Amino acid sequence: MRRDWGAAYALLAPAAALLGLWFIYPIVDTVVLSFQQVNLFHFGERTYVGLTNFHQLWADPAFHHSLFITMIFVLLVVPAQTVLALVLASVLQTAGAGKTFFRTAFFLPYMTSTVAVTTVFMKLFVEGGPLSASISRVFGVPDTTWYAEPSFALPFLVIVYVYMYIGLYVVVFVGGIENVPVELHEAAKVDGAGVFQRFRFVTVPSVRPYVLFVIVAGFIQAVQIFDQAYVIASNGAILGSPAGATATLVIFLYQQAFRLNNLGYGSAAAVVLLVIVLAGTVLTRRLLPERS
Amino acid sequence: MRASRWLVVANILKYSILAIGAVIALGPILFALYTSFELPADYPRIVPFSRLTVWNYRYVFDNAPVLRWYVNTIFVTFGVVLGAVVVNTMAGYALARIRYPGRALSFLIVLAILMVPLQAILIPLYLLVAQLGWLNSYQALIIPFIANPFLIFLMRQSFLNVPTDLEDAAAIDGASRFKSFLKVAVPLTMSGIATQAILAGTWTWNSFMIPVTFTTDPNHYMMTVGLNSLQSQFYTLTTVQMAGVVLLTVPIVLMFVVFQRLIVPSFATAGIRG
Repeated sequence: MRRDWGAAYALLAPAAALLGLWFIYPIVDTVVLSFQQVNLFHFGERTYVGLTNFHQLWADPAFHHSLFITMIFVLLVVPAQTVLALVLASVLQTAGAGKTFFRTAFFLPYMTSTVAVTTVFMKLFVEGGPLSASISRVFGVPDTTWYAEPSFALPFLVIVYVYMYIGLYVVVFVGGIENVPVELHEAAKVDGAGVFQRFRFVTVPSVRPYVLFVIVAGFIQAVQIFDQAYVIASNGAILGSPAGATATLVIFLYQQAFRLNNLGYGSAAAVVLLVIVLAGTVLTRRLLPERS
Repeated sequence: MRASRWLVVANILKYSILAIGAVIALGPILFALYTSFELPADYPRIVPFSRLTVWNYRYVFDNAPVLRWYVNTIFVTFGVVLGAVVVNTMAGYALARIRYPGRALSFLIVLAILMVPLQAILIPLYLLVAQLGWLNSYQALIIPFIANPFLIFLMRQSFLNVPTDLEDAAAIDGASRFKSFLKVAVPLTMSGIATQAILAGTWTWNSFMIPVTFTTDPNHYMMTVGLNSLQSQFYTLTTVQMAGVVLLTVPIVLMFVVFQRLIVPSFATAGIRG
């Protein structure tokens, strides 16, 4: 490595300028805005109001509701996607023929647009639609338009979300399982362990760090849920609909800032999101297994 | 004998699970594809292939500015990709290869920004764009997203993975730092640069929160925002909406199938943020 200050700064300058203006400044400004009162239509006029926004959040039932909805969403999404991805990954790992095909198939939904996937699922889960009708027949739940029914809308969001993200975590787990030495499996086989015993006593303990990691990374992603909730809410006209059933934390801050014009109040909620995500990220760094 | 029968059962079970997974993963995509070729009157029945038409595609192009949205999306995507490849490659190279005062600090800043979700800084971003008079413009969808902490991180890794010998030799031959960057280091990291281009391209193509917030004029919509607006415009025409879904999805699916070996690992790393 050579010392070459001039060249280094010249190469870094464009990235530094862009990151400074479009990332670092907005991060600082989010915090500044959270102590201010600003109307979207007069955003030049900013008034410092101290901790008023945070006091207001503390007492706002709509904010509590958004935290509650986000928590339920995360509690449904994270275990579901972690378990399903682990099962698929361990099966996929042992597959000989067609391994690439299945991996591609599982990963494809993650590559597609959130708007496209949500639009398709809205057709599948409409009253009398292909999936809502068959789910109704099999499980005895009412055949209804899931995204328009308050008690079905959040589970609908969970299904759309898990559908998209599962392939991502399958790939992460496959990476983890591939790190398990083949000798361990061989030794277990010699000792007479069957497929399920080997899964339980060899694969599971070896991928445990990855499981923890996927749980925390999945949590960080899931608390940021926005696109899917926006799309089902009549194209964002009535955010959080039906009846606030999908009013997640980001939907709450978006609604405050861009529908109710309270930029300061929305930013205070954004600071709460930032704190949650940063706490999660710090935790991930701790749990992160040494990656190859 | 027992062991081999057990093996057969295990294999059947294994492939059943994989097949169910594949059907669930691909089912909605195939549903959209098939439905997009059905006449509105035929939906939701299943009709023979001979009855399928491109009516929905013609209809959606005639009744919504889809072509405009497509052009917008392609333009914005290429803008971000070109800018990103230049800016992040340069920064990644400096971080990986040059010793300068503040190097550790600058890398730490990149890692710190990496943790911040766009959702948390959307409000000041919007204010910045509005103050510049950039609402409903291409530059608002391109310029803020050129420099990207993850892509800088990725390029730094790529440069760290190539041996320095060739560059050292070039230096001895009197090549300047810029020459050695462009002529020696960059050609050795083409796969990293390609990965970067694909990541930036896919993210931009699929992006929704930013364009839906920064554009209110349908002429400036990207495909994602346009597709979302089709939902209310053609509320009863499921088949037309599915044509929109296919138009939005096909380029990404094709790219993915072609480059999947290259991109699956990097998307996995990016998806869980470094």
